[in-house]
Amino acid sequence: MITLKTLHILNKPPEHSRYRLCLRAIGPGDGLLLTENGVLAVTRLSGIDSERCFALAADLEARGLSSQVSTDQTVSFDGMVDLTASAENVISW
Amino acid sequence: MISSLPEQTKTPAPAGVFTLVITGAPYSSQAPQTALRFARAALAANKRIDRVFLYGDGVHLASSLSAPPSDELNLCDAWSVFLTENHIAGVACIASALRRGLVDESEMQRYQLTASNLRAPFEIAGLGEWVDSMATGSRVLYFHKGA
Amino acid sequence: MSTLIIIDQPPYGSWEGREALDMAFSLAAFDQPVSLLFCGAGVNWLRKGQDAAEVQQKSIERNLAAAPVFGVEALLADRSACDQYGLDDAALLDHVTITDLGKELTGRFDHVAFAG
Repeated sequence: MITLKTLHILNKPPEHSRYRLCLRAIGPGDGLLLTENGVLAVTRLSGIDSERCFALAADLEARGLSSQVSTDQTVSFDGMVDLTASAENVISW
Repeated sequence: MISSLPEQTKTPAPAGVFTLVITGAPYSSQAPQTALRFARAALAANKRIDRVFLYGDGVHLASSLSAPPSDELNLCDAWSVFLTENHIAGVACIASALRRGLVDESEMQRYQLTASNLRAPFEIAGLGEWVDSMATGSRVLYFHKGA
Repeated sequence: MSTLIIIDQPPYGSWEGREALDMAFSLAAFDQPVSLLFCGAGVNWLRKGQDAAEVQQKSIERNLAAAPVFGVEALLADRSACDQYGLDDAALLDHVTITDLGKELTGRFDHVAFAG
């Protein structure tokens, strides 16, 4: 697994003001993990390094969005633990 | 006037120990559920959770009076069982809790209230508990409301 | 260990900002370096001339004026939000440094947190 500088955990839908703040704060080497309402962004996110952008499987499934994300960008809660433990820093937006 | 940003020193945090801060209330946000799924996965991965800190609206998770319909997950109960079984400290911030009507026995007596409603094993304590997690190098993760 | 607490909720309409302030003051009380960043509608906390008597709340302006005394290292305001809400140097409280929320700023801190 790649080591992330800062892992940004985003649980807000794209209309939320904090969603835009989060995107402004993502730097090189950072990763993005979409959870809860944040997974709605998979229908419109582009321009983010796909190796470093992930979405939580349970939240994708709940919202009928699993097919929109490749399996290597989908993480379980186990994967979320790995990402949060290995990143240098974590910001929950 | 402060003319420039203060110089900050960066020290990488070890991430074997987690503190979970829950600020989203049960039944008005997904935060307590996401946090519980995360907590179970963390223990399964041999990580330690030193405390769960409830802040702001998150203190409602410590209510002993929550009674959701029987076909819905009882989040307050599920969290209390999880904390008890795994010997993890559950702390509700005292200032957040008192404002929102969440009190233990001693606060009930202190303020001469008619009832107490803090669910075991949660305790009421100050923000110093959270500062301790920050200062001792725990990986502090926040579970906020999602809207 | 250095912490940036971000306030992006406007004053008086919700308690989140006050609870963020409590977090910052607690860190400072335990001698932990902390700065506050106001962004989005949160910059309205920093406007001079607040009088919250008629909404029956405590004025936040006085709390913020005391922040440097309590050991909060910096009160930071996001430039684009200040522009959006018409906050220039004359309208802003004293001791506020205008900056830009972005990776350079958040990368300077060990912890970046919101109150809710």
